[in-house]
Amino acid sequence: MTASLTRRRIRIINQICWTLALCIVAIPFVFPFLWMVSSGFKSAAEIFGSPSLVPREWQWQNFIDVFKHQPFARQYLNSLYIAVTVTALTLLVSSLAGYALARMRFAGAALVALFLVSALMVPEEVTIIPNFFMMRWAGLVDTHWPLILLPTFGPQGIMATFLMRQYFLALPKELEDAGKMDGLSRLGVWWSIALPMSRPALAAVAIITFLNSWNLFLEPLIFVSSLDKFTLPLALSNFTDPYGMPLWHLQLAATSLAVIPILVVYIIAQRQIIESFALSGVKG
Amino acid sequence: MAGALPIRDTARREDAPWLTLKMREAMESWLFISPTLAGFLIFFVGPLIAVVWYSLTEWNLLTQQATFVGLDNYSDALFRNPDFWHVIRNSVIFAIGLVPLNMALALSLALALSGRFAGVVIFRTVFFAPVVTSAVAWAIVWKFLLQGEAGFINQMLASIGIDGPNWLREPNWAMAAVIVTRVIKMVGLNMILYIAALQAIPRDYAAAARLEGASGWQIFRWIIWPLLGPTTLVIMVITTIGSFKVFDHIYQMTGGGPENGTLVLAFYIYQQGFQFFDVGYASALAMIMFVVVMMLTIFQLVLRRRDT
Amino acid sequence: MKTTMKRMTTTVLALGMMSGSLGAAELRFTIWTGNEAHLKMLNGFAESFKAKHPDVTVKYETIPPGDYTQKLTFQLAGGNAPDAGWLMEDAAPTFAAAGVLDNLAPALNKAQGYDFADFSKPALGLWTAGDKVYGVPFSTSPFVIFYNKDLFDKAGLEDPNALAAKGQWNMAKFQEVSKKLKDATGKWGFEFKDGQGYDTRIMHALMPPIRAAGGDVWANKQCGFDKPEAVAAVKQLHDMVFKDKSIVPPGEQGDYFSGGSAMTINQISRASLMPKAGFKWGIAPLPTGAGGESPVIGQAGIVVFSAGKQKELAAEFVAHMTTKDNVAAAAQFFPPARKSVLDSDAFTKSNNLIPPEQMKVVADAISKGKVLPAHEKSPQILAAMKPRVDALWRANADVEASLKAVCTAIQPLL
Repeated sequence: MTASLTRRRIRIINQICWTLALCIVAIPFVFPFLWMVSSGFKSAAEIFGSPSLVPREWQWQNFIDVFKHQPFARQYLNSLYIAVTVTALTLLVSSLAGYALARMRFAGAALVALFLVSALMVPEEVTIIPNFFMMRWAGLVDTHWPLILLPTFGPQGIMATFLMRQYFLALPKELEDAGKMDGLSRLGVWWSIALPMSRPALAAVAIITFLNSWNLFLEPLIFVSSLDKFTLPLALSNFTDPYGMPLWHLQLAATSLAVIPILVVYIIAQRQIIESFALSGVKG
Repeated sequence: MAGALPIRDTARREDAPWLTLKMREAMESWLFISPTLAGFLIFFVGPLIAVVWYSLTEWNLLTQQATFVGLDNYSDALFRNPDFWHVIRNSVIFAIGLVPLNMALALSLALALSGRFAGVVIFRTVFFAPVVTSAVAWAIVWKFLLQGEAGFINQMLASIGIDGPNWLREPNWAMAAVIVTRVIKMVGLNMILYIAALQAIPRDYAAAARLEGASGWQIFRWIIWPLLGPTTLVIMVITTIGSFKVFDHIYQMTGGGPENGTLVLAFYIYQQGFQFFDVGYASALAMIMFVVVMMLTIFQLVLRRRDT
Repeated sequence: MKTTMKRMTTTVLALGMMSGSLGAAELRFTIWTGNEAHLKMLNGFAESFKAKHPDVTVKYETIPPGDYTQKLTFQLAGGNAPDAGWLMEDAAPTFAAAGVLDNLAPALNKAQGYDFADFSKPALGLWTAGDKVYGVPFSTSPFVIFYNKDLFDKAGLEDPNALAAKGQWNMAKFQEVSKKLKDATGKWGFEFKDGQGYDTRIMHALMPPIRAAGGDVWANKQCGFDKPEAVAAVKQLHDMVFKDKSIVPPGEQGDYFSGGSAMTINQISRASLMPKAGFKWGIAPLPTGAGGESPVIGQAGIVVFSAGKQKELAAEFVAHMTTKDNVAAAAQFFPPARKSVLDSDAFTKSNNLIPPEQMKVVADAISKGKVLPAHEKSPQILAAMKPRVDALWRANADVEASLKAVCTAIQPLL
């Protein structure tokens, strides 16, 4: 009786110690967000003037000036519609190819898979220069096309293909066979049987693709040069006045505006999102 | 999409009675895979071949004039330009600093958070949050926090009597700062991979060992750690390759400085190609990067095969 | 044969242009300002251009100043060249050498009453080669000292203008005053241009004192950083940063415009920030040194890109923007390079923020000043300099050795 009581007590103390330790480790993970939002409400002078997290004077004006400084709403919209387009395209293209690789027999399937895998590990930096010249040739520089095409068909898209393939492989084949018996074509089986069963994989692809596009930096940096075509990551590094002097308070306010919606969605759907990443990582 | 094409297999069979079942399956497969394959050829294979050609030329981005120079760009990098080896050194230091720190932290967090207790979900959410945040935003915030005397970190250190360094102004501290902030940003990803692997280990293994009187450390060392082997390998390779690709983080936080102390390969390629217009040299660097990453990948495949 | 062909092509092109200019056309013009007053003036130029070309509209595209040259490079290299635009001085030689700038001489000679000779010769140095004209300077802006009168009063010191009037405004005095300001007010004595002296404005930080000391950063393909004058000048700056602690050091913030520093160096366009600053202020010439008075000038020009599709029309527009009247109109923001405008009373009165006697300082500096150094390979030179200059800005740095290292790094590029 007493033994179990002390054991329980030790367990609770243990628990508290662990939690405390984890809280301390969590500081550098949480604090930057708090500091970012708080500084977004400060004046330029106060950001470096006082280390307090509570602004002396709440500068709501910052969040209005962000939109006056550059077409921030437009840039926000750009990021959003590009990310949605890339996600939709990737879902379509990768699930088609993933299905073929998982379910269909054809000569050269293994070779194709091997080919595609080789693209997985190659950094965008390697192919960015020729891609730049290709886009130039196609007249697509300073448009959003490169930001849609490159991620969809680049390493990210191929990773999505393999994620889908992996998932299709694990699905029971019987239902699809039954569909075929009913006279469904391959496309019909893919659309009305395989896809509905693959929701978790589709969700994972969607989440990762969306975030990847939303946070993309190198491609926008190189391909986009007009202010009203900027995406968020580019816009964030563009808070200087006409003479090149940094506008810290606006930059931090804008950064808050860019980060918080994603964080809110993340907190609401954290389970789903974290699982998606786990699913994508395991395939290695 | 589906509606536009014949759904009924039977209808199709009548359309093309000369096709054998096998041939039709092959044709359909290629159709399914063709968008991905076409994109792969256009945006990956083509450029990869092009980059080999570019790397053999002297090519000015602005004037668009190219002359064939053979292997000059490679010998420039390897033998003549001292910056190249400095950049390689930086990239290696970055990887050597980042990978073990990231993996050790990821594993520790995973061990702490693989069980079920109150708050476990909150902690997982917290440690993973930077992963979904844009690297640009993350680097911007840390750049402010790490300012000289007026920066938050140094003000905190000063309040406990420590005179913090001028983080982003001293080459070694800047490298350390970039590594640590990158680890904090990305460790969540490896943490969940480890958690998934830990949860896949049957509970009775540890329970049985405990009955035999094994200590916590012994259980970890002799049972859990070996079982985590494949995961550790995958994480190691992914993280190492990722560390060679780092660009946005460096671009925002240090711009490769101070004293070129954080100038890494990905940033160097960008600088040579797009800031100095030297497409040929940048392409040679890109090829070198390609070879390094490929070697790492093959190394991983070999290790895995030996493992299984 | 070849010349005939060329002439024919030119004629055909010109005809094409003319027919083009009859129909509606839009010129793309890149700028780095988003300032409403600037845009209003620029749109005014586009409006008055319609007198001759009723169907031509001009679309100004703002590119952020920090990335301006880089983004412009992407547009040019990406086959998406604008018709015309502003160009920063450091990019001018690189772009001219790469052949991406169009020769404006024909259009300027053709323009009625243009009087190209009115532009001051030294101001054209960067933009001309032989009888070719690659750009017309629209802003020839000397660097001046901005000072915070309130802080000088608080410290009980004479302000730089008073010192200059007595002929005492030299580098030694500058150091002394900065130290006293720091000690008396707790604010920094001096801030480099926009607080960027250790990053993007290395040249703007080092140039003025080196020139005041009678040196130069480079001249005639010879690096000048390691010459005794330059070493002495930089040593003095180094002392001010790390011994006197009167200049805002690397990694710190001491924004002049919000009262964090008593003095800074900048161009008069920055006066537009002053009404919001909330303190009494003035502008004064740069302190003199062993080399006497040596004003430093920053420049920006208007260019036409040879890859553009409406080169002749664009060149005509550039000529229109830089007529005497329009240069005079722009003078309130952008100090002119036209002698007639510079000498006029209208110029000294053009800036309603700066009193005429202080505008004289500006006019004086333009006529005597030297443009910042530029070079065909300036991106590489700056990149090669940066790490070595970083090493210089450490408390325990050996200034002379660091400057030697700068020279070793950039000499091959010169």
